[in-house]
Amino acid sequence: MSSCARELFVCPHCDAVHRAVVLGRHEVAACVACGRVVARHHSLSVDQLLALTVAAALLFLIANSYPLMTIEVGGMHTEATVWGAALLMLHGWAAWPAAVLALSMFILPLLQIALLLWVLAFARFGRRAPGFRGLLVALHRSRPWSMTEVFLLGALVAIVKLSSWVHVTPGIGIWALASLTILLTILSMVEPGFWWTLLQAHA
Amino acid sequence: MDSLAGACVITRAIGIGLVACRTCGLVTRRLPIPSPPTSCPRCTTLLRERLPRSAENTLAWLIAGVILYIPANVLPVMYVSGVGGGEESTILGGVLSFWRAGSWDIAALIFTASVAVPATKFLALGLLVWTVHRGTSWARRQRTSLYRVVEIIGYWSMLDVVVVALTAALLKFKALGTAEPRLGIVLFCGVVVTTMIAALSFDPRLIWDMEANDGH
Repeated sequence: MSSCARELFVCPHCDAVHRAVVLGRHEVAACVACGRVVARHHSLSVDQLLALTVAAALLFLIANSYPLMTIEVGGMHTEATVWGAALLMLHGWAAWPAAVLALSMFILPLLQIALLLWVLAFARFGRRAPGFRGLLVALHRSRPWSMTEVFLLGALVAIVKLSSWVHVTPGIGIWALASLTILLTILSMVEPGFWWTLLQAHA
Repeated sequence: MDSLAGACVITRAIGIGLVACRTCGLVTRRLPIPSPPTSCPRCTTLLRERLPRSAENTLAWLIAGVILYIPANVLPVMYVSGVGGGEESTILGGVLSFWRAGSWDIAALIFTASVAVPATKFLALGLLVWTVHRGTSWARRQRTSLYRVVEIIGYWSMLDVVVVALTAALLKFKALGTAEPRLGIVLFCGVVVTTMIAALSFDPRLIWDMEANDGH
């Protein structure tokens, strides 16, 4: 690897070579050839990112331990949690979509939060987390399959749908899920390259 | 950066022997062609200038998606039983019942996520594979934007799977009403997964590759 290569940036969508630039506040870098936004300025420090991740972890815990919604019919009531919805379908042929749901709505978001916590907690003290390389690759690979926002919208549609038949009460879980979605969106706006240079940026 | 558009000659990494890592973005010099691809020094991903057999793989996953799409829309996705007997519903049936009940917004939302988004992905990826195969220089920027749209709308089709799963998890009152998932939702989930893999298999850099041959 030559030293000049570090200052170059290649657009992942069209292979155009750019000289890397340092972005100022609110600045966005777009590819000159295809127009794709290739970098966004963010002023979040490691401490702030860690704080956001800890908040995301707590919200994930709340979203999964309290019901998303409760329905009542003639004195009886049932509740649904993120985890419970996938688990209930885990029998017979419905196991296939249930596995996809469990993975995209529960396991992968949990994995991403855990990975960020681990990597950031070490970076906080200027150290490279054990397994740094493999964990960041896992973070990158799992990103397209993590779908918390879709689950949130699906839960809202289910509430509207069920409310035409039965009495539905939104639970604490849905508020936690909505807040979690916002935090995960903020965290995912940090471009992939940033995580790899985490320690250099911090030093 | 933007002000330079059109005013400068654009250099492609492949043209000057550079390769960018698909995972971490690191730019390194590629060894001369006869040598096999090496690994990224930063994240160990195998460095490839282009995804091998990208157009073929995309097309294969796309065809699988189209095959699943038809029964996924025809077969029932959910069975709801109530006091007055049971009823099976399809995705379009669900959209219609919301529409008739006056919830046109929810009807539009489900229609967009479940019917329009997969159809858009089939058309868009089909167009991209076909134009890349032909090696045309037509509307490169717009085609790259089209790919970006396909990437962004990708997973929203999971919406109906979530709705069915939550409804089935909640409606389980033995005498008064239960809901069960049906085969349609399994196939529908298959549509989402296959079209997402199709989009991830497509290498948008192929859109820009024939540049040297057409006098630009």
